[in-house]
Amino acid sequence: MIDEPGPWGTGPFTLVQGASSITTRPAIMSAAPFRASSIIESEQRDPQVVLEANRDHWNRAARGPRIERAVFRNDLTPDEALRLVCDTEGEVDIVTEVSPADAQRVLDSAHARLVVSDANRVLVGILNRGSDAPLHDVEVRRALNRAIDREAVVDRGLNGYASVIPAMTPPWCSGFPAGVQPYELDAARAREAFAQAGWPPRRPLRIATPESFAAIAHILAAGIRSALDLMVEVVVVPPDQLPAGSRALIEKKLDLPWDVLLHPWFDLSSEAPPAAVHREFFGLDGAFRAGPPDDGFDALFDEMKVQLDGEALVEVAERIDAYVHDQALALFICAPQALYAVNEHVTFSPYKTTFELAEVTVDEQHWSVSGGRSDTGGGDLGDRTAIRPTSGKPTFSQASGNAC
Amino acid sequence: MTAPPEPVGTVHVVDPSPLNWLFITWNTMEEPIRIDEAGRVVYSLAESSEWLDERTLELQLRRGVRFQDGEHFTAHNIKQNFDEMQRWAAPHPPGTWLNFPAPESTAEVVDDHTLRFSFPGPDGLAIGKFRGFHIASSAFWNGKDAPGFGYKKFGSGEGHW
Repeated sequence: MIDEPGPWGTGPFTLVQGASSITTRPAIMSAAPFRASSIIESEQRDPQVVLEANRDHWNRAARGPRIERAVFRNDLTPDEALRLVCDTEGEVDIVTEVSPADAQRVLDSAHARLVVSDANRVLVGILNRGSDAPLHDVEVRRALNRAIDREAVVDRGLNGYASVIPAMTPPWCSGFPAGVQPYELDAARAREAFAQAGWPPRRPLRIATPESFAAIAHILAAGIRSALDLMVEVVVVPPDQLPAGSRALIEKKLDLPWDVLLHPWFDLSSEAPPAAVHREFFGLDGAFRAGPPDDGFDALFDEMKVQLDGEALVEVAERIDAYVHDQALALFICAPQALYAVNEHVTFSPYKTTFELAEVTVDEQHWSVSGGRSDTGGGDLGDRTAIRPTSGKPTFSQASGNAC
Repeated sequence: MTAPPEPVGTVHVVDPSPLNWLFITWNTMEEPIRIDEAGRVVYSLAESSEWLDERTLELQLRRGVRFQDGEHFTAHNIKQNFDEMQRWAAPHPPGTWLNFPAPESTAEVVDDHTLRFSFPGPDGLAIGKFRGFHIASSAFWNGKDAPGFGYKKFGSGEGHW
């Protein structure tokens, strides 16, 4: 990450003011071989981070940049930003990570439109296969997957802005296994399998969740209670407890206080999801693996990672997704979409894995071209600030943060 | 050939994503490859790649690229950035899975536009890992006030790539 502005890169924009950075602390999984990940301890953003067009960019004709400046405003909360993009001109042009709970507000806006994109991200329940509950039993894990109503989660929890997928790989990515279907809600079959598993009497199932997915956790809990006649507790993890919980999960030294942890995650590309997604949840060096290593998964991953031929690699990736589905290694929920609120005079085409500005354009009616007024330029907004969600609405702005 | 249109206008963005630090980097720096709208790998500072054998990956680099400070981009920049990255045990926040094993992994300049990586074994994820291999100018690294990735701020590149 870049800590200070300067002409450091070759990219379509030059960082000319401010910086956006994070402070991380290593969390070590093993010393030999060395395996570690990072816990985000804090975020430092200047109130305004300004990018200016690199008019000398080698790919300018094909990509851009098409705009002169992009100003990242970090002096606004997401709720404030949403109000400004929906109700005003000249204050905010693009808001990322719009909550599905706010989608209708954008749709009703006279100034902004809602841009919706299938994104390479998943929402799953991490299953603690090391807990004192029998989650090491594949039949129990399958029963849980048959006890939840994914369509209800998508419809009621995310206002329809998500896709049900069989496991961890969305169908638009390489490595999606043909013929594998999502687990269907089948309460009778789930209850029958669960009854044979020896779940301890009066032992509740503990679902932990960050605040933003509490409503979804309750939808899942209600479904599991109903289907399995099982006590289910929902524990909402306060933000200040996330780093400690994350460390416990990554380092795998402490008993985890949950059986299921709702966690969103993202992929870096559409090419080989097991590298950044499946491995993180189930692999030997997976930050979010809860429970012992899974030899079957690790053997497949070891086979995949040495494939230099792309088609061969994808073929193993398909087998990996089919394997984690068959073994029900997680509570598979859905692939949430990415939502943006965009000023009506701005064209913006979302990327599935990142946020790029090179292709963004503005039309002649845009405030910055037509002589409209903006009150945000050049003001001294004080010291570095942090921009964080301020409500418990479902949001995937935590999808790249810590799991607890 | 028609000249590309001049950049026009300003946009104000509010991006609550915890990956904002990375989005700022990706909009201002580039890597041998990038990821397109659909999530597919496309070449960026590299024009092509070829496995010469199971442990040797050769990149042909794009010509006519300049850093924003005017420095011409060459294979020497890739090597410098690679060597800096390899100094650290866990440079990437997502974790050591993005590492190239050190010290066995090396970068060799063949000529100004050809670079050859040697790895201890076949690495089918190498091209994808390049997405986290940001290429900065010489000025980013050289001199006591050069920022580096975390060098000036923290005195370390761990977890800061």
